[in-house]
Amino acid sequence: MKRTLGAVAAAAAIAISLAACSGGSSTTAGEAKGDINYWLWDANQLPAYQQCASDFTKINPDIKVKITQRGYGDYWTTLTNGFVAGNAPDVFANHLSKYPEFADKKQLLALDDAVKKDGIKLDVYNEGLADLWVGQDGKRYGLPKDWDTVAMFYNKAMTDAAGITPEQMSNLDWNPKDGGSYEKAIAHLTLDKNGKRGDEAGFDKNNVATYGLGLESSGTGQGQTQWSFLTGTTGWTHTDKNPWGTKFNYDDPRFQDTIKWWAGLADKGYMPKLETTVGASVSDAFGAGKAAVNTQGSWMIGQYTSYKGIETGIAPTPKGPDGKRASMFNGLADSVWAGTKNPAASVKWVEYLASSACQDVVASKAVVFPAIKTSSEKAAEAFKAKGTDVSAFTTQVTDGTTFLFPITENAAKVEGLMGPAMDAVVSGKKDASTLSETNEKVNALFK
Amino acid sequence: MTTQTFKVRKALNWRRIGAWIAIVVALVITIFPFLWMLRTALSSNHSLASNSGSLLPADFSWGAFKRVFGMQTTEEAIADGGSGAAIDFWLYLRNSILFSTVTTAAQVFFSALAAYAFARLRWPGREKVFSVFLATMMIPGIFTALPNFLMIKNLGLLNTFAGMTLPFLFMSAFAIFFLRQFFLSMSREVEEAAMLDGAKHLRIFFQIVLPNAAAPIATLALLTFIGQWNEYFWPLLVGNDESIRVLTVGLSVFKSQSPQGAPDWSGLMAATIVAAVPILILFLAFGKKVVNSIGFSGIK
Amino acid sequence: MTTISKHPPTAPPKMPQRSSHGHRKVKLRDTKIALLFILPAMIGLVAFSLVPTIRGIYLSFTEYSILGEPTWVGVDNYTAIFKDELFWNAMGVTLQYVALNIVFQTVIALGLALLMHRVAKSTFIRGALLLPFLVANVIVALLWFWMLDYQIGIVNEIISWMGLPRIAFFGSEQWAIPTIAFVNVWRHMGYTALLIFAGLQAIPHHVYEVASLDGASPSRTFWSITMPLLRPVLALVLVVTVIGSFQVFDTVAVTTGGGPVNATRVIQMYIYQKAFGESDFGYASALSVILFVILALVAFLQMKFLKGNESDLD
Repeated sequence: MKRTLGAVAAAAAIAISLAACSGGSSTTAGEAKGDINYWLWDANQLPAYQQCASDFTKINPDIKVKITQRGYGDYWTTLTNGFVAGNAPDVFANHLSKYPEFADKKQLLALDDAVKKDGIKLDVYNEGLADLWVGQDGKRYGLPKDWDTVAMFYNKAMTDAAGITPEQMSNLDWNPKDGGSYEKAIAHLTLDKNGKRGDEAGFDKNNVATYGLGLESSGTGQGQTQWSFLTGTTGWTHTDKNPWGTKFNYDDPRFQDTIKWWAGLADKGYMPKLETTVGASVSDAFGAGKAAVNTQGSWMIGQYTSYKGIETGIAPTPKGPDGKRASMFNGLADSVWAGTKNPAASVKWVEYLASSACQDVVASKAVVFPAIKTSSEKAAEAFKAKGTDVSAFTTQVTDGTTFLFPITENAAKVEGLMGPAMDAVVSGKKDASTLSETNEKVNALFK
Repeated sequence: MTTQTFKVRKALNWRRIGAWIAIVVALVITIFPFLWMLRTALSSNHSLASNSGSLLPADFSWGAFKRVFGMQTTEEAIADGGSGAAIDFWLYLRNSILFSTVTTAAQVFFSALAAYAFARLRWPGREKVFSVFLATMMIPGIFTALPNFLMIKNLGLLNTFAGMTLPFLFMSAFAIFFLRQFFLSMSREVEEAAMLDGAKHLRIFFQIVLPNAAAPIATLALLTFIGQWNEYFWPLLVGNDESIRVLTVGLSVFKSQSPQGAPDWSGLMAATIVAAVPILILFLAFGKKVVNSIGFSGIK
Repeated sequence: MTTISKHPPTAPPKMPQRSSHGHRKVKLRDTKIALLFILPAMIGLVAFSLVPTIRGIYLSFTEYSILGEPTWVGVDNYTAIFKDELFWNAMGVTLQYVALNIVFQTVIALGLALLMHRVAKSTFIRGALLLPFLVANVIVALLWFWMLDYQIGIVNEIISWMGLPRIAFFGSEQWAIPTIAFVNVWRHMGYTALLIFAGLQAIPHHVYEVASLDGASPSRTFWSITMPLLRPVLALVLVVTVIGSFQVFDTVAVTTGGGPVNATRVIQMYIYQKAFGESDFGYASALSVILFVILALVAFLQMKFLKGNESDLD
């Protein structure tokens, strides 16, 4: 019985505090002290952030940071549960596709006042990253943490055997009609069981031993690592404006022609059929020598360079019809939960995470590219020291050929529609023109 | 006469051979995946992809088991392809044991009480109420998960042992169904004799019915324990706190860490083997009795 | 079901009067004591099944995204469901799965139970067949996902070593549902076999002795004696496994996630997607209500059709 009374009191306290904080108010009143909980999902970054936490406590002896790492699969369900249960972490790593909904449901603390008061300079971050985290209501909900772009990982032994030099790999071009030198390279890298290459006579596309290009998935509506670096060179954009677009462009012929060309690679035998990719991971297949080239994001550098017996090269994505490259530019940030009991301490931690003190530490571990310009340069050097040349990723930033990850409302519903539709097209079951019909359904969500 | 028996023996041999082939096939299909689990658990993650056809561990290493028992440092774990998160194995094991034992004991006991009421006691509306209990088996788990979660939250029992065990403590429709069938089939003579002697139902239940039903109750308890041991979704929702986390939830640390990353296969397989060992021990200890002596005297 | 007739005939003549008087008293007493016996189970039933179900039914008439407040929309969810092609796809896919799963699981379990009963008396074999049940559903799914992978799974390596073309078990639209059915059969066949085995042990030996004396062949014995006497147990097993089968989720969530395209988007997966993926909990609740009604109907039909409440031993 005592427990029930205590429970009722606790529930009441939680309800009251939730009500007070759920206005998304940006109060940083109160002393900055106490214990705060921080969540992230990438295990590879854990040691770096643990060091940041201990450095932070040295500077702010009253604040202790407890870091919890949860796998990506469970991360978002557990986080949402935390919102509902009232025990979400004070600070957590956030993703562009999820934060609009959280902001909408008033679960994120606005950081504008803190940024102004503490004089946080937003120009130290790579171009465009800071703006991504300003919501539709004009309030800021995150401070940039890191960024990623897309490049091509290739098996050096296979390209050498095919007579393709690293210079050639770094200077491929593409167009939706005949695939340019990109398709030629992929075809040449494809080997069937009899040793015939994809562009030689007698090539048996039903008996392929090594595919030129690996396939991860259809990419659903975003195609971050699958096809967006191609569509980005045709002048096509996902939505009418970004961020906060409300009309998608999947009915555009430039998009559909690109998908048609890409899906066609599987018909020609240069790329695995979609049905064969459901299962382990595309990187494991690369590690098993089943594909010569994989287009992937910079967060996978560690994975691709870890396979025993494979020397991995990295080349930038091919140049397109507009003569330039393109890569989707994604940036993670750390956000503060609106229901935190320690807003002052939490904001201080977020500011520290977004400062060069912490980002330099992350850079030195060579796992991701931190958001601050100087820190990401340090990261590139750290990768080099490990023997990996990451200029393929950084060149997109320095050349200014990046475009932002699409940020819209209803992201989950759009995915629910585009996922099966893209699967059907890439597997050859339906024609690319059916995507216009899906586009209508998607746009209907915004009416 | 001799020719007849000779014929019969021949026919029997054919059948027996066929039966034994079927058993061997069944055993292979059942056991091979476990051998594969062991093989993967003793491999190194980075070599798994290139050695996919080999039946032996790829690059033999005890690393996975070390990871499971929390004996690797974060750096070592990450170098091995695993997550650096801390796994407090013994704590999770203790929590799983507590959780499974408490819920099994309570659930089986209360279900037995209810089953007795449905099988032996006579009261108005008995069959209707029983159908209602049966009907609960048809409620999709997800349907009740969220309202139950909200209720536990409102009681302030989130992330407590009580909150995690509460929904499982009181009954299981399957257990009631199962035990009722058994009680119905039990011979009434001893009970009636006791009733004539003036024994009340409570006494009859504890002193006659329960002892007689030891075998099915043991079977049910074993099956329930296994089910509770492997419970994942509810403890994930309600029991995330480190101090009460159970093994199945703790295991999720071996699943993929980042969107395109692969799971820590060797760690996951090692963890699964280790998590299954307690159940295996239990099964070896009690299973023989259960598997060999379960006797329904007729299901009505 | 009556007890009066079993009273010893040598009872004194006063007995009948006393017993009829006592009979009424016994009934009243039973109700009170029954309440006591039933109380804990009732608490569980009401608190954790009935109340959430009612709340869930209420939510099915609302639009609710978990983090906000539910807003009443009447039958909008239900009308949307009937027009929803993904719903009908889910029903079709689920039925396909249930048919495959139940047929194979029951037949194999029956076979295993017979083998355990007649041929393989060793506890080791019986125990070994039960091993898959000891592993959590989620892990079983991951294990088979790994073993059946097209490119680097051991099963496909063996297949290609035999010279046959590899099979995209989880990726091909034709193979996906049968594969998931197989994974679940693998996990549950031992457990189901154990239940049927219990029923087999309950059949009195003298029935078999009479049959063999009469010269009945093994298959005749099986179909005319074993099966009919096994019917109540089979009915129990079928009802429980069909209900469980309709609710398949873990395996799909961990492997195909509903794909390829929509080939494995079973109803419980679709509900989960709507509730936790798209935060449309009102719609998901309406789907759940429909699933519940279907399950109740199926169970009712099964019990009626199989006459599981009767036993041929009487």
